[in-house]
Amino acid sequence: MAKVEVDAPPKGGFSFDLCRRNDMLSKKGVKPPSYLKTGTTIVGLIFQDGVILGADTRATEGPIVADKNCEKIHYMAPNIYCCGAGTAADTEAVTDTISSQLKLHRYHTGRESRVVTALTLLKSHLFRYQGHVSAALVLGGVDVTGPHLHTIYPHGSTDTLPFATMGSGSLAAMAVFESKYHEGLSKDEGVKLVCEAICSGIFNDLGSGSNVDICVITKGQKEYLRNHLSPNPRTYVSSKGYTFTKKTEVLLTKITPLKKLVDVIEGGDAMEE
Amino acid sequence: MGDSQYSFSLTTFSPSGKLVQIEHALTAVGSGQTSLGIKGKINLVALCHQCCYCYIEVVGMLVANIELLMIPSYVRSVIAAANGVVIATEKKLPSILVDETSVQKIQILTPNIGVVYSGMGPDSRVLVRKSRKQAEQYQRLYKEPIPVTQLVRETATVMQEFTQSGGVRPFGVSLLVAGYDDKGPQLYQVDPSGSYFSWKASAMGKNVSNAKAFLEKRYTDDMELDDAVHTAILTLKEGVLTPAEIEDYLQEVE
Amino acid sequence: MSIFEYNGSALVAMVGKNCFAIASDRRLGVQLQTVATDFQRIFKIHDKLFVGLSGLATDAQTLYQRLVFRHKLYQLREERDMKPETFASLVSAILYEKRFGPYFCQPVIAGLGDEDKPFICTMDSIGAKELAKDFVVAGTASESLYGACESMFKPDMEPEELFETISQALLSSVDRDCLSGWGGHVYVVTPTEVTERILKGRMD
Repeated sequence: MAKVEVDAPPKGGFSFDLCRRNDMLSKKGVKPPSYLKTGTTIVGLIFQDGVILGADTRATEGPIVADKNCEKIHYMAPNIYCCGAGTAADTEAVTDTISSQLKLHRYHTGRESRVVTALTLLKSHLFRYQGHVSAALVLGGVDVTGPHLHTIYPHGSTDTLPFATMGSGSLAAMAVFESKYHEGLSKDEGVKLVCEAICSGIFNDLGSGSNVDICVITKGQKEYLRNHLSPNPRTYVSSKGYTFTKKTEVLLTKITPLKKLVDVIEGGDAMEE
Repeated sequence: MGDSQYSFSLTTFSPSGKLVQIEHALTAVGSGQTSLGIKGKINLVALCHQCCYCYIEVVGMLVANIELLMIPSYVRSVIAAANGVVIATEKKLPSILVDETSVQKIQILTPNIGVVYSGMGPDSRVLVRKSRKQAEQYQRLYKEPIPVTQLVRETATVMQEFTQSGGVRPFGVSLLVAGYDDKGPQLYQVDPSGSYFSWKASAMGKNVSNAKAFLEKRYTDDMELDDAVHTAILTLKEGVLTPAEIEDYLQEVE
Repeated sequence: MSIFEYNGSALVAMVGKNCFAIASDRRLGVQLQTVATDFQRIFKIHDKLFVGLSGLATDAQTLYQRLVFRHKLYQLREERDMKPETFASLVSAILYEKRFGPYFCQPVIAGLGDEDKPFICTMDSIGAKELAKDFVVAGTASESLYGACESMFKPDMEPEELFETISQALLSSVDRDCLSGWGGHVYVVTPTEVTERILKGRMD
């Protein structure tokens, strides 16, 4: 145990040091903590020139909105992006790990990453953890074999679809897609449809909210539209804000001035050899 | 050659205090093809803290038998002070039948760090693989690109381990690592023993002494990146070509 | 009972104009019994970087030791202080390493980065980063802190006003949380100085 603490930096992989203690605590009736979740509506569709991904921007912790404008569309490779739903730490970590593996793979092969490569790496990672890494993903990208869109479930199963939704708002979003999606959408039609699907999630699912993020990937190009729509601006800001007349009662004040950095003047005597 | 009886194991010192295998590794480097690196225009101090506005671009170039890598930094909004570092190597193929497009001696470790070797090519691949992995690990831990010094030290650590572990031999390569980070353009040479130095300009491989002498003559502190490229090519071609032929090469670069 | 409620805590950080403030309550309890009223939850990493650790006190202290260890190692290796963003990534990595047996700890990180740009961020106990431009909160009083900060916060406050705002937000929030309180500990950090103040609060 002591040795583990001294071993810095970890080479990746998980540490199970505290599991026994935490298990003992939960047996004593102490509830384990809740994690930051991305309640989430995430969607993707294939249009005539490529793939469009979309996501809302709400992160929740139980019933609390923890982040009103988080990012759920993750970078995988220059031509591949991935939307994540589920436990925020897991979606972040899994996409990071795989995007790093893809980068090394690109260095070795000298070629653009393929979407299936990302898909296989992601699903094998998730399958290895038997659903305990709770990430539900929508993976999209354009490679040498054309545009691809996949969904990946936390247990490691995958689907290949022309349009896909995930997260707690998936039903609301899918309702929009099922009624309005057709093959050969233009870019503008596609973006509009994705916006509509995300908005349907934002307004009908409590786990999703705030703004719409969009990512359009076409052959050799990508467009990341952060906060493409902001249908829920804050309307209740007072222009003056609060001011406090009465001074807060302070018991003790300690002021530490910070040292200025000293400029080293070059050209002093050289050190003797 | 009283030392030779101590060369059976690389971890055994000779009575004169040498590790003979490491010396042999250096000989392997010395007979390898020439590589060199030049740091252009030591970064202006004023630009150091502007690093967050810089973006980094790697430019690779191939000029008949010479592989070149330039790592320039362009500073947005501030004066376009193109400074950076260039590494170059001679690309002599064993036969004209070899498909020259398949040979790449300069490798990229991260978008802002490149490396070239002199000595045994296969050995360098191992180091390149390990270094890339190390750089990626750093990136994943800190979400920030690895500084050149850190990567060089990690690579040097690997090379040192191979001089002390059982069942392995030292790497038969020296590396020139060129990169650009917060501290400006940087150039390091790493030797099989695991020692490393920072240089303004350096050369290794065949004809080191000639090349270094040439660089000493040509190098100035206020070299622009373009000048550095010219000097690199001239140094590699010095003694091999006539002045007219050198002119031709320079024309090709432009 | 959730494990986060065992010791009780309240943490908040706010961004001002070229400065930031980080504040915590001072209570250490064992469930409803108060054990100490001068407990430290905010720690200095370097002159311009502070970390607050809410949640289970034992884990907070262990985690703090590991963070200091890792930061000192970084300082020795790279001969520089960590940027707040970099430190946040490190904390996140350390927490995620224990994904299946986490520290019961929710950190709040606040610091001045390049060009003295303020940076604040919080995380859940397994390292999911949550970056904010205005304020971040953590601990058992987080719900009331969210409400107080949401209405009291104004962008670009000067250090003095920032102090009043964060103190009032903290004090009013812990008054509605029985597990935290007993005064407050406030750090206001500007590029030139660190001001540490201890606030008087209710003692019930």
